[in-house]
Amino acid sequence: MCSGLVGTQEGGTHVSTPRFRSVIVLAAVMVLAVGVLGAVGCTPKAATTSSSSSTPVKGGTLSYYIGEPAAIDPYNAQETEGVQVVHQLFRSLTDFDDYDATKLVPAAASTWTVNADATVWTFHLNPADKFSDGNTVTAQDFIYAWNRIANPNTVNTATKKADPSQISYHLAFVRGTDDYGNAPKGISGLKALDANTLQVTLKAPFAEFDYVVAHPGLAPVEKSLVEGGVDYNGSKVAFGEMPVGNGPFKMSQPWKHNQYIKVVASDTYYGAKPYLAGVNFMEYKDPDTAYLAFQSGALDFSQIGTGKIKDAESKYGDSADGYTSNPGKQVLLGAENSVYYLLINNKISVLNNLKFREALSLAINRQAICDTIFQGSRQPADNIVPPGIAGYQPGAWQYAKYDVAAAEKALADAGYPGGKGAPQITLAYNADGGHQPIMELVQADLTKIGLKVKLNPFADFPTYLKALTAKNFMVGRLGWVADYPIIDDFMNPLFRTTSSNNYFVFPNKTFDAEIDAARKMTDPTQRLAAYQALDKQIGDQVPVIPLMFYKHHHVVSSRVHNFIFSSMYLADLSKCWISK
Amino acid sequence: MGRYIARRIAQFIPVFLGVTLILFFITTVLPGDPVAVRAGTKPLSPAVYKSLRHAYGLDKPWYVQYVDYLGSLSPVRYSPKSGLRFPGPDLGVSISYGRPVIAMFEETFPYTAELAFAAIAVEIVIGIGVGIVAAVKQFSIWDTFATLSTSILVALPVFWLGVMLQYLFGILLQQWTGGIFYLPIAGASGPPFADWQYLILPAVTLASVSTAYAARIMRSQLLEVGGQDYVRTAQAKGLSPSAVLWGHEMKNALIPVVTFIGLDLGAMLSGAILTETVFNWPGIGNMIYQAIGRRDYPVIFGGVSLILFIVLVVNLLVDISYAFLDPRIRLGSKVEG
Repeated sequence: MCSGLVGTQEGGTHVSTPRFRSVIVLAAVMVLAVGVLGAVGCTPKAATTSSSSSTPVKGGTLSYYIGEPAAIDPYNAQETEGVQVVHQLFRSLTDFDDYDATKLVPAAASTWTVNADATVWTFHLNPADKFSDGNTVTAQDFIYAWNRIANPNTVNTATKKADPSQISYHLAFVRGTDDYGNAPKGISGLKALDANTLQVTLKAPFAEFDYVVAHPGLAPVEKSLVEGGVDYNGSKVAFGEMPVGNGPFKMSQPWKHNQYIKVVASDTYYGAKPYLAGVNFMEYKDPDTAYLAFQSGALDFSQIGTGKIKDAESKYGDSADGYTSNPGKQVLLGAENSVYYLLINNKISVLNNLKFREALSLAINRQAICDTIFQGSRQPADNIVPPGIAGYQPGAWQYAKYDVAAAEKALADAGYPGGKGAPQITLAYNADGGHQPIMELVQADLTKIGLKVKLNPFADFPTYLKALTAKNFMVGRLGWVADYPIIDDFMNPLFRTTSSNNYFVFPNKTFDAEIDAARKMTDPTQRLAAYQALDKQIGDQVPVIPLMFYKHHHVVSSRVHNFIFSSMYLADLSKCWISK
Repeated sequence: MGRYIARRIAQFIPVFLGVTLILFFITTVLPGDPVAVRAGTKPLSPAVYKSLRHAYGLDKPWYVQYVDYLGSLSPVRYSPKSGLRFPGPDLGVSISYGRPVIAMFEETFPYTAELAFAAIAVEIVIGIGVGIVAAVKQFSIWDTFATLSTSILVALPVFWLGVMLQYLFGILLQQWTGGIFYLPIAGASGPPFADWQYLILPAVTLASVSTAYAARIMRSQLLEVGGQDYVRTAQAKGLSPSAVLWGHEMKNALIPVVTFIGLDLGAMLSGAILTETVFNWPGIGNMIYQAIGRRDYPVIFGGVSLILFIVLVVNLLVDISYAFLDPRIRLGSKVEG
């Protein structure tokens, strides 16, 4: 059906030299064009620096890259995108300091106290704290919001169908959350002593509860707006599409799904008003497209594209502290409060052997993984707790390092000298998460000390999660992102015997009792020492193998000054400004 | 003709039932719990878990869920309390986002349709145009150019072409013209560009491979038709070349091309995943793809139902067009080809 390039016409053969020449010329031109197009990606761009003004300038709109959030209604703020938007629209009782997340600063509550045995917390609200519609924030607003989170029958404001909160675990500390359905007035541990005072009674002592209440999802909401809708252009919009909060920004129009969320500065905010006139959260499905858009000037903040970190550093300059951006120092690579680790299934007898686990942990070259695959956007983990957490001690997990000689010795002590006699180890992971290169390097490291290792990929995350829950794995992988910058948020969810995230359950329950004991201590020095001892103690048992800490791999445009993006992955957009 | 159309529409129902039944059955064997996926690694209280599974009907056996689903699609509802109502089909609520599936598709399908029609327009104008020129001026430099470029386009991966166009027209062109003249990298609307300018690069990218095929098919069809007896008769009668081309050759040569373009339109209206991801185009392709990864069944079933319907309509229109292109084809008659 397809005629060839050099064909014949009916009636005779037809050799044509001019035509042949034209073919060659054309082919050469086209190859050249494709080659230029291909080479186009390699041309480095000269760094652009704009004239910087160190005095803040009011006005301007920042374009901020996010993915589509699951929810921007605080009751269900669960992933980084939704939490980021909620953090600009709302303020919770306390907040993390911009530059040191381990320090708490007052937010909706101006002061707070705790009783002697850390069971009752009293928060005194800032009387100047108002929602963007002008109504003062009261203790009742917090009680209503938190009950909404704990209620397993909470209704989605847009669909009016049951859509309970996924973040009710934050309130697990509060007395009465567990039997929410039975108590007529909701969570029994919440009480409004007066309009400005919220008293929270906990289920068990917990001296760091003030860190928990800083979570953006625990912000106050107005019952009338949640149930009646928000006014917009003469009609009512569901609260979940256009939430009204007490933060430095407010929604200027309802959420345009899959495209953008637009917010403007709120003039009722109790704190220092933002310099920016507004922020446009632009939703991108693909971070590489977002980075291209950043390079073309359509975004002011973006993730750096895959494999382009070194290139970005040379073009835009490194931030001084890794979290703050100013013109010329725009690439953010600060450590985040999250860790990537290998899970171990101690139901398998060979893995129930401490020396064997030590050998596994010591054999892995974490630095090589970070350098080869991540170009410096991860750093090797020497602890399950990342550096940004209060009380982090380098090297607290003594086996979370690379020492082949020690690994071989531990393997011999375990009863498998040189790996002889050891059963095959399988590494489980979800194939759609980009984990394969990491697992391949781990496999190579373990093979070097004599072990037989096979990769065991699962099709996607849901399938993999199912296998984990069914304990159908030998060694797996997971990541953990801290909700609060405290050691407890690693010890409790990962190592308490009853926790759903604990896949390696020790037969005795001493950890549980020790965690509870540390939670009771109201003296910060004593408490920190107790948690650090717990961290080291668990590390000596190697129930999981920490591999890497996550770091920022983001970049900001040269027109933004004082852009802060903390280790808790929260941006404080009220403090930055745009130079004209 | 009318009976033919009615029969085709009637054929849709068993196809739809068969596909959705298989799909529902597959969900029982496919591992993965959408509610657990939504919670990720964070703990979910058993009460909330149960409540969510009940809200989405996941605690019922799959055949009960299937019957419920079919019932919700019906545009007519009857209940003893409120009698007969006509609320329109209810495709359920997304498990990942808690939003009504119909609202999600209402937002995204217009963008997919816009992109698909723009790409088809490019395909028709450039594809058929290049094919005609290549056939009419066979063996000339235009023919050589057309054949070479279509060969290259067919070989290029769509997403690579998209990214290269983004870089060339979005970033380099901006630099070369000092920011005066360039095209947007991504997105579908908003300042500083007019809405139609966002459409250019994605439409060209999406249309690229199909345009190459359409040009090739057009060219070879015209060449084949050009050797037929009736064309020689028309030329002998003294008709001008353009009269021969447009009056006789095109209508016969177009049938395979129309088939190809029609199938292509159906495929594009089903969502162009790669193009949508690269250009951040808010269409249905990426949405359904994400839903599959998250086991968001309501969105998946809603998407499959929509795509089945689109493909039916497009294929029917293509078949009907044959009757207009070639009078020898009688639709619905016993001598059907």
